[in-house]
Order: sequence, then structure tokens, then C-alpha cells
Amino acid sequence: MNEVCVVTVGLAGVVAALLGGALPASSRVVAAVTFTWVSCAAALWAAVSVLSSDHVIALSSTAILPLTGVTVVLNPLGALFVVAIAVVAMASTLYWLGYASHGLATRSASSALPLFVTSMLLVPFAASVATFLVLWEMMALTSLVLVLTDQSRREAARSAAQWYAVMTHAGAAAILLALVLLSAHSGGQTFADIEAHARHLSGALRGTIFVIALLGFGSKAGAVPLHVWLPKAHAEAPGPASALMSGAMVNLGIYGILLVGNELLGGGPVWWWLLVSVLGVVSALYGALYAATSSDLKRLLAYSTADNMGLVMIAIGASGLFAASGHPMTAAVAMVAALLLMLNHSVFKGALFLAAGAVQVATGTRDLDRLGGLMRRMPVTGAVFLVGALSVAALPPFNGFVGEWLLFQGLLHGLPTSNTSVVISVSVAVAALALTGGLTVAAFVKATGIGFLGRPRSNEATDAHEVAITMRLGAGALAVLCLVLGLVPMLVLPAIERAAAGAGRINATSATRGWISLHLLGLRGVLAPSLLAGGMALAALAVIAVRRLAHHRRSWPAVNPVEPWGSGRKVQTARMQYTATSFAEPLQRVFDDVIRPSRDLDVSHLVESRYYIERIAYRTSNDDVIERQFYRPFIAGVRWWGQRARWFQNGSVHRYLAYGFVALVIVLVVVA
Amino acid sequence: MSFRSLVQTVIHPAKVTKDLGDAPSLPQSPVNLHGSLQIRHVDAGSCNGCELEVTSAFAPVYDAERFGVRLVASPRHADALLVTGPVTKNMADPLRKTLDAMPEPRFVISLGDCAHDCGVFTGAYGVEGSVGDVVQVDVHIAGCPPRPEVIVEALRGLTGQ
Repeated sequence: MNEVCVVTVGLAGVVAALLGGALPASSRVVAAVTFTWVSCAAALWAAVSVLSSDHVIALSSTAILPLTGVTVVLNPLGALFVVAIAVVAMASTLYWLGYASHGLATRSASSALPLFVTSMLLVPFAASVATFLVLWEMMALTSLVLVLTDQSRREAARSAAQWYAVMTHAGAAAILLALVLLSAHSGGQTFADIEAHARHLSGALRGTIFVIALLGFGSKAGAVPLHVWLPKAHAEAPGPASALMSGAMVNLGIYGILLVGNELLGGGPVWWWLLVSVLGVVSALYGALYAATSSDLKRLLAYSTADNMGLVMIAIGASGLFAASGHPMTAAVAMVAALLLMLNHSVFKGALFLAAGAVQVATGTRDLDRLGGLMRRMPVTGAVFLVGALSVAALPPFNGFVGEWLLFQGLLHGLPTSNTSVVISVSVAVAALALTGGLTVAAFVKATGIGFLGRPRSNEATDAHEVAITMRLGAGALAVLCLVLGLVPMLVLPAIERAAAGAGRINATSATRGWISLHLLGLRGVLAPSLLAGGMALAALAVIAVRRLAHHRRSWPAVNPVEPWGSGRKVQTARMQYTATSFAEPLQRVFDDVIRPSRDLDVSHLVESRYYIERIAYRTSNDDVIERQFYRPFIAGVRWWGQRARWFQNGSVHRYLAYGFVALVIVLVVVA
Repeated sequence: MSFRSLVQTVIHPAKVTKDLGDAPSLPQSPVNLHGSLQIRHVDAGSCNGCELEVTSAFAPVYDAERFGVRLVASPRHADALLVTGPVTKNMADPLRKTLDAMPEPRFVISLGDCAHDCGVFTGAYGVEGSVGDVVQVDVHIAGCPPRPEVIVEALRGLTGQ
């Protein structure tokens, strides 16, 4: 049965892509979505059956890929990633039905999107180097097509796609190198062969392989400083594609790190995990800082993705550190936290990106400084975004809270270990987490407050209407899931523990226990999310009841509604409100030394007199400082060399003939 | 200021602030202030004479702040509205809005003769009326313009300090 499921995932995906490419515009999206759902459902079925029993799906065939064949194995860790991807994919493709009329119903998009979903679903199934790389590359290429969807209308999409193409292929090259090194030294290309031989390799080689793989997979996960493509590509990709990229694809970077580090190489020394933690801390801080200062809604979300992946990497690094220093219980908790954070991030970031896509469809802009007042005009989208924002800010009763609670528990309980480097890095990580949390709240207060509350700042925002029902359903489903996972995380925790036990090479089979309250085994920590939510609801009800009662008895002063204070002006305009830029300005000033924004004040005077000003133009931009300081000079250097190389290759046939002649002479001289 | 006190002021600049004696008992505040009064000032059309004196009352020599009075930037933070000048047609609405924006309990102080009866501006084409014609006035400080001592004395009566 499960083997049939695996085949169905692939076949349905291919059928969806073919139908999406072949059918007329009226039916192609519906057909593609239907078969993508079949593919997702089959993958979910297989993943759930793996997660609920310890049964592992294994399948191999030599008919599909020539020379190497295809090997497919689904273990609990892969199954958890499949679940996360399938859930986001089902919601995003449902949303796509409504979004399609906004430029996402072309043949290329309709066949790329199902293929993208299917290849992502299948990456965790891959159990040989060739299978893995083919699926990985398919995922990269199809998502690249999706980033390019809007390229005829937006210049930025083309540049984003270029960045994405280069970064993802540099990453793929690193992954290829790491996996080829592994298989060359272990005499086989299936993961089972590698796993059997990898522990006998020398420490230096294992370390080299891990670092190369970490760089490759880290760039996919948006780890700073390899993140530069992420805010561009995720922002420019159309709604459903950006939700898939941010909610599902980045997870596979994390999967890759776990796959190579823990499964193939079988765990490693402390310094590997210190490296992962450091990458995580830097990503979390940097992502949160840029999210807090961005005024482009989707760019903000993309930086927040880098931030959240940083949290996951901190948890993975901490888990590895604890495991390497002999604390399996804390290691188990940290690994469960990592996987729960990953799953939560998929759900809420999917919801947020779908809501942001709806805003873009309704208003035609992503610029927060031109939005506002959307909560009243787009109530469902607004509610979805609010739920997503509360989740990402890790506030109960939403799912982000449980994950961060587990992470803090794991880190704080890991402090009394004997290893000095572990203690120092964990303390730094805790401090970084605290700052990250604050910055994230600032970013999402800004996104929700400026984007959805207040008065509309442009005509487009004034005329915004709620989007199609399927879009609302797709985004709403993920928002509901945010609440469900926040109230009863125990629904998924047994599955996550099973996955974590495999991922972290941890003997402890269970880290948590309980249905209503969550007990951490071996540590002192209890959380009852549903009781917490119940308490919050009761407190809110109590305040309302007291208020009603007092009002009834007239002991409460009458409410006197007055208009907002606008310095006594007769007319108040939307321009008098806070904007995203002004909201972030104090924060940006505090972190001026880090992000170095460029400010440009241009005052032009009247020709007649310098005492009269004709125009004042103020421009500020906070483009990515790592891109500006490291990537741009590198690109300029490559360009420079390219220009020099043109001297050799100038199109003159005579010169090429001369080259051939000189080369021949040299060869003859050398040989003779 | 005698020559002797001038020299003393130069030698001990800290003594520039005047000793104003005990707190007067009047005027009584319409609300219980517990010794602290936050004021939002609105110039409703004054000739700026009163503004100079108000500035002086809060400057180091008379230093009204030591008696618990503070000028604040927003009506949202204020206990009392301090209005100067006759109310011009353009300022009538903003004046009402400012009062509306203040939290209860609140009261209105009018300052200067123009605020009371429009003074020389009575009947001018741009004048709506006195402060009392536009909002309900609780305390009046008379003078054209009132001297800083008078202003501080009135404010001390309100705070009871």
C-alpha cells in the first residue's frame, strides 16, 4: 500500500504538470490542482503511516534513472518533512485556484508549480545520491521558473531570479561535492552504503564533507551570509509560490543538514554543532533585524524566514552539542524543539505569505507605506495575517509559542553541562534568542499595524476588496492549523519525537509526555497550552463581564468617543499616520552601525533666490548590508576579470586560429 | 534689582530663582490636583504678549515647575487647558477639538484680558469672541499681559504648593 503511495506521488505530480502544460486555460489550473492534491494526499498517507508505526518505506527501481537507478526510503525524519511540505502545498494549491487569474495561469506556471510541489515532496524520500540530486535540482529549476512568472511586468523579478539561480546552483554544487566525496569514499551511492562506511572515514574528511554540505544546504535554508537570494526570490515569487518556497522549500535545507550531519555521517564532534549554532544565531539576529526595518511586506516575511530558520539551526546545533557532551535528554528536547519550530514555521509562514499574496492581488502593491486600513476591507485576509503574526511573535495560544518554549527549555536546561564551549555558546544563543524575539515582535507589530490597521495610505488600498473564496480558504486553513497546533501540540509531538530520535541519533525515545499538559521527561518543565489559552479566554471574559456589570450600575464612567488627536486640524489625512518607515526609524537608528542604511537628502532652490526652496527629496534605502559589502564587490571583481578575458575572445577568427597554432606548438614542444 | 543683588546673582547664578514666599490660597482648583498640574497651552489669537509672560513664568527666575506645574506637548497628557488671546474664527474649532481631546477631569484657564473680553480686538472681523464664548472657562488670570508673578501665583493657588 505504502509503496503504491510513493509511486502515486510521482505519477500524479507528472500528470498534473502535463495537464497544466497541455490543457486550455479554462481547465488547466483546476486539473493541475486536482492532481497535485492527489500527489500530496498520497505523500501524506505514506508519511503518516511511517510516523505512526516504525515501518520504513523502501523501494528501488533501475527503470527510471539510467545507470544509477532510483532508491527511495522514507524514514520518520523524512516523513515529518513530507507532512510539513504536503500541508503547505495543499493550502497553497487551493489558494492558487483563486490566484491563477492574476498571472499564474500560464502553461509554464501551471506545469512548474505541480512539479515543484512533487519534487519537494519526493526529496525526503530520496535514498541515493543520484536520486537526491535529481530531485533537488528539479525543485530548484521549477521554483526558478515560478520566480520568473512576473518577469515581463517587473524588472526586479528578473534580477531576483538571477540571484536565485546563481545561489541555488552554487549551493547545489556544494551539495554535489559533499555527496560525491561521501559516496566515493564509501564505495556506493545509496545512503545505506554511505551510512555503513562513513563512520570509518578520517575525522578531517568527515569534517570537510560536513562543512561543504552545511554551506550548500545552509544557502537553501537562508543561513546568513548565504541568504542574499532569499529576500529577493521570496518577495518576487507570486503568492502561492512564495508560500511554498518559504513554508516548504527552506525546510529542505534543514533536512539536508540533518541528513548529512546525523544520518549519513552519524553525528560529529562539538565544533560541527558550534558552527551550526553560530550560523543559526547570526541568521536569527540578522533576519529579525532586517525584518524589523523592511517596509516591503514580502521582503519582511522573507527576512523573517531567515530568522526562523536561524532558530531551527540554533536548536539543531544545541541538540548536537548536548549529544556530543553526553546529555541525551536535553539533546532530545532541543531536537524536538527544532522539528516543532520547523513544522510551525511552515504553517504560519505559509499563512503569512498567502495573506501577503492576497494583499498584493487586492492592492497591487507590497509597500507597507502605501497600505493601511485593510482589516476592514479584507477581514478574512486580515485575520489570517494577524494569526500568523501572533504565531511568529511566539504568543500563546498560537503554535509559535510552544516551539520557542521548548527551545528555551532545552537551552536553559542545557546550561549546567561541564563543557565550557557549550555553556558559552548556549548562553550567547539564549541572549540572541531574546533579542530576536523582541525584534520579531517589532517587525510584526509594524506589518500588522501599518498594513492592516489605520486608514488606507493610497487609492489602491482604499479600493481594496476581499479576494476569491478559494484564496481565503487556503490561507484560512493554515491559520486554523496555527491555532490547533498551539492548543494541542500533543497531536504532532509523538510523531516529532519519533523523527527526532532518528534525526538526533538520540537513544531517548520520548522527550515529552502528557495530553493536556506537556511534561518534559528528565527536565523540570511543564506547559499546558490549552489550559493557558482557557485561562486567557476566562480573563478576557471576566474583564468584559465586570465592565458590563459596572456599566449597568453606572459606576463606570461613560465612554466618550473622540476623534484621534491631529493637532486640532480640521481635516486629518492618512499621511498623518505612522508609516512603516517611520515606525522602524528609531530601531534603524539604534542599529545604524550594523545595517548602514543610505540616506540621501536633495534640496533644490528656486533659480531666483537661494532663500526659497523649490523641492526637497529624501531617499532612504536599507538594502542588505552583506550583499552590498561582500557580494557586490565580488560581482564587480568577476565582471572586471570578464572584461579582461574579452581581450582573448574578441570574435576574430584569425586570432582563434593563432591560439590553436600556439597551443599545438606548445603541446609538440612539451611532448617532444 | 539693586547693584548688590546683581553682583550676588553674578557670583551665585543658582540664586537667580526668586523666592516667592508661601503658597497663596486662591484661586482654588475645580478638580483635586494633589499638587501636580499638567497644562496644554493654546494660543487662540493672542498678540503674543501673554505668551512672553507665560514663557517668563516657566523660565528660571519664576520657575513655575518647582510648584508642580508643567507645560505638556499634547492635550492627551494635560489636566488643564491654558488659553490666551481672543478666539479668532480660525482657532475656534481647533480650540474645541483640543478640549475634546483632553481626558476628564479637566478644566480651562483663560489668561490675559483679551481671553476674558477680547480687549482691543472686540468686534474685529476675524474674532469669534472671548474664550468664554467658545468653551467654558473655570479660572481666569487677569492682566494685559499678566505679570509672571501673577501667573505663578495663580498656578500656585491651583496646585496648592
